[in-house]
Amino acid sequence: MNLAVYRVILRTQLSPARLLVLAGLSGVAILLAFTARAADDTVEVATQTIANFGINIFAAFIALSLGSAALGNLVEDRTLVYLWLRPVSRHSIATAAMAAVLTVVAPILVVVMTVAAVVTGVDDLVAATAVATALAVFAYSGIFLALGLRFKRSLLIGLGYIAIWELLMSRLGDWFARLSIRSYPMSILSDATDVSMRLADRSTLTSYIVPLAVGVAGLLYTSWRLNRTEID
Amino acid sequence: MSAQAGPPPMVQAAGASKWFGDLVAVSDVSFSIGAGVTALLGPNGAGKSTMLRMMCGLARPSNGSVTVLGKDPRSDVSVLGRIGMAPQQESLLDHLSGREFVELAAQLYHLQRPGDAARQAIQTVELDPDDTRRLSTYSKGMRQRIKLAQAIVHDPLVIALDEPLTGLDPRQRREMIELFHRLGSEGKCVIVSSHVLDEVERFGSRVLVMAQGRLAAEGDFREIRNLMDDRPLRISIRTDQPRELAIALLDQGVISGCRLEGADLVVVDSTDPAAFRRAVAPVARDRNVSLRELRPLDDDLESVFRYLVGQ
Repeated sequence: MNLAVYRVILRTQLSPARLLVLAGLSGVAILLAFTARAADDTVEVATQTIANFGINIFAAFIALSLGSAALGNLVEDRTLVYLWLRPVSRHSIATAAMAAVLTVVAPILVVVMTVAAVVTGVDDLVAATAVATALAVFAYSGIFLALGLRFKRSLLIGLGYIAIWELLMSRLGDWFARLSIRSYPMSILSDATDVSMRLADRSTLTSYIVPLAVGVAGLLYTSWRLNRTEID
Repeated sequence: MSAQAGPPPMVQAAGASKWFGDLVAVSDVSFSIGAGVTALLGPNGAGKSTMLRMMCGLARPSNGSVTVLGKDPRSDVSVLGRIGMAPQQESLLDHLSGREFVELAAQLYHLQRPGDAARQAIQTVELDPDDTRRLSTYSKGMRQRIKLAQAIVHDPLVIALDEPLTGLDPRQRREMIELFHRLGSEGKCVIVSSHVLDEVERFGSRVLVMAQGRLAAEGDFREIRNLMDDRPLRISIRTDQPRELAIALLDQGVISGCRLEGADLVVVDSTDPAAFRRAVAPVARDRNVSLRELRPLDDDLESVFRYLVGQ
């Protein structure tokens, strides 16, 4: 990883508007956790809340917003040339971009969702939430980093992917669910609390391996794409 | 500037072509460039930027090859450490200050003391290295200069500058041209693109002229300038006696045809513009004809380049 590239991309990630949105969503997550705590079936409601809000919405959309922008914005405003022209490996640029995204997204999401899990009062959910959120963030960040480099309207395409594939198509059957990121971290939550959820029936091992593999695949694709792409 | 004995060329294109779908941006271009300042001249859309991008590895030739210092800049990342480029686009990493921007380049070129190198490069382009303002606040001229600073911060052997004088005032232009010459005289290969003929005249004697994606001419600037001056020219002359003036110019043999357009206008064709320019005023004076306006109808750069392509 190239530290200079990492620092530059990290600075682009930390815009006041983004931090404000993150703070707002974090507040909503904590608020929902209090609501779940007050429910009759706390374990089920808390697990569903963490899965549906934390994984399906919070993690996916925040990773999309920051991941697609990390290299996508540089492509869009034609400044990628100032990194690409230098004698640094394309893989180190991709790794630095991924690290910059994770530096912002992972601590906020993992900490906020873990605090939310603590607030629900369901002890079994706390560690599982931390792990599931971290894995979801890693997978989504890899995908959206690559998407940002590949497509000009990556934010729109990413929104379409989340809404159509992750939230709708994944419900059509087991094979569709297997190709949905969210089913893996949801399975980790389901395993921890024994709450049965639709899509959350992946084995423990695959629940860990697949999100990691997807994140790495996204990173490798980004490196490959950086090598092949023509810079404007 | 064809290949010649002596030191190997620093930049070489061999049948290089580049197309984007059906659009041919560069077509079968071959040349060799050594140390010194070389101007890449051509109208907008001629393929100059694409050519420079291929030289810097930003784009891959669709056919043929472009090598820098004997290496393919597209596949050999190490050669990028010997190339400096100022791209045409104005956009910069606007959240950085000028110093941070140039220092980032120095770090990525793995310089030992990136801060010092950045300071020196910024001073070379006559900006203030202690200016902490963000690049987003920079004027067009300052942006051009900071782009140049990041291109030379690592003391590269090959420097590709895409329209680097755009937005600079006359004094800054003069100083930048002096800098290009200084870099060229230090043994660096400085390639400067421009679509302004008079600007190129001051860059130096070596010119590559591109038009419609092709290499239209190459060589000494004066020869090319003469070739340009020798092309047929159509001129509109506003005068109180258009018929008499046209007959006199035909008699002198300095025009090959004419067309009267209204009571005070004649359009003439000349195959020898230099002779025409010398003759027109004396002829008018001798016949007591008043010249009100002489306007070349096809003297824009586009028509000059079209002519060169035809040649």
